[in-house]
Amino acid sequence: MGRTLTFRIFRFNPYDEDSVSRIQEYQLEEVPRLNIFNALNLIRDDQDPTLMFDFVCRAGICGSCAMMINGRPTLACRTLTSDFSSVIELFPLPFFKLLGDLSVDTGVWFREAAERLESWIHTDEEFSVNETEKRMDNELANKIYESDRCIECGCCIAGCATANVYPDFLGAAGLNRIGRFMIDPRDERSNETWFELVSTYEGIFGCIGMMACEDVCPKSLPLLDTFAKVRRLMLGTGLSGKK
Amino acid sequence: MSQVKTELYPRAVRGGGKESGAYANARRVLIAEIISGGTGLILAIFIMGHLVLESSILLGKDTYDSVAGLLEKTLPIAQVLVFIITIAFFFHFVYASRKIPGKLSSRRKMMELGLSIKKSKGRWSQPKSDIEHKRHLETSLWIWQVRTGMTVLALGAFHLFLVMWNIFTTMGFAGEAGLAAKISTSRVESGLWILYLVLGIAVTAHFAIGLYRLAVKWVPDIWLKRKTAYIICNMLFWLFLILNIAAVMGFTGKLSLL
Ligand code: HEM
Ligand code: SF4
Ligand code: SF4
Ligand code: FES
Repeated sequence: MGRTLTFRIFRFNPYDEDSVSRIQEYQLEEVPRLNIFNALNLIRDDQDPTLMFDFVCRAGICGSCAMMINGRPTLACRTLTSDFSSVIELFPLPFFKLLGDLSVDTGVWFREAAERLESWIHTDEEFSVNETEKRMDNELANKIYESDRCIECGCCIAGCATANVYPDFLGAAGLNRIGRFMIDPRDERSNETWFELVSTYEGIFGCIGMMACEDVCPKSLPLLDTFAKVRRLMLGTGLSGKK
Repeated sequence: MSQVKTELYPRAVRGGGKESGAYANARRVLIAEIISGGTGLILAIFIMGHLVLESSILLGKDTYDSVAGLLEKTLPIAQVLVFIITIAFFFHFVYASRKIPGKLSSRRKMMELGLSIKKSKGRWSQPKSDIEHKRHLETSLWIWQVRTGMTVLALGAFHLFLVMWNIFTTMGFAGEAGLAAKISTSRVESGLWILYLVLGIAVTAHFAIGLYRLAVKWVPDIWLKRKTAYIICNMLFWLFLILNIAAVMGFTGKLSLL
């Protein structure tokens, strides 16, 4: 006999003038290996078609379904209801723009961050379709891949006290992205360019090392180590670059 | 024909070179970080030495006086140190506290978020899922670092003032100048023990958290894992906390190892 779960879900539609923010309760019979994402779909199908939340891949790949689950930012599709007592509280991620109920707009923020960081490979080399691809050292490729695994779910930003207080802060996902291009030999940006970009309060030195990002990242990215590397590179560049 | 232009985006707008305003600004930020971290480290090392030497009171007043004499007369470093430390203290305060959000509502937001993530551990009661569960304490630790920092600012400034006063004049406690068990004891006994106890606890918590933070921020993972850094700083905290309490008891004559 399964448990009866109580979901306490934040409801608010910013586009509806009559909407007031409130907590609404739903009851649901638990089935084996039920995850939060499926539970939300069951609630929407059977109980309340107005409930808003996001998902795409339901497999921890797209990063759409991040929300505050019992006080912790994480992915709904990768969280089993069996992890909890029978009361589960769901809130939208803080920091991002609320679209309604549990749905937030992470896309605009990530796009802006990418533009600020110019997160693409900067190179003067012309690309030729006829040539074979250049080889990359396997170890380095793996390192880049580790940072590239970020699915832009926004959990690290939502969990970061600094980001929540300083909206211009690039956050863990942004800093991780910088770290990724820094180690990529194809990117021709110099250390001085990096220095201008990240030795700032919006960049690496806004981070006070609370490590919530590392602790909540559902993809377990090595954020801590990446930031330490960025810091040391900035230190070296800044000190050697005497005018 | 076969040449495809990869440049979908404009070239970097930044990268103005070393003469640019952006570069100068980046340098300023870096230097501020070095000052706040560097003075933090200096102060932490100093405080550890300070607490160890201070607890020589536990070996009796004579030991304390000879340690004090060594530091003051034989090698006159007490006078020099008190100046250096005061300067470091001031710079640290100015540079480190820039990171404290000015608005009360911002500070409250930080605290709520920290608590939310910390408390969530208990609410995720049966971690069977494939998401690895990690303890999270650091946001709250930072908030405590700010609180203890403020305590140290108030009490430490008072303490520094008293010590300087006593080192250079005779118009203070016990009618003597310099470092001596008599002076320290009379300071502690005149009811200031509560100040020293609170100051000691605050400074210990503050420097232990601070050293952990420095380790996390700068040291590569392969040299020092976060968990190891946490354990070391935790041990430092308890060690110096006990030492500090014992020393205060030593000054009031309630505890002696001899
Ligand atoms: C004047 C009173 C003090 C205040 C207001 C204060 C405040 C702070 C603050 C807010 C931070 C965090 C900075 C950051 O995260 O970037 C910090 C860091 C630190 N503090 Fe203090 N502090 C004070 C005194 C001290 C003392 C006396 C010590 C030595 C025992 C100390 C050692 C440290 C260390 C080692 C750090 C870490 C530095 C870093 O993370 O960059 N502080 N302090
Ligand atoms: S770093 Fe982790 S938590 Fe942050 S957006 Fe990427 S996957 Fe999500
Ligand atoms: S370490 Fe802390 S301050 Fe830095 S990005 Fe992560 S959560 Fe934010
Ligand atoms: S639905 Fe794609 S990550 Fe959860």
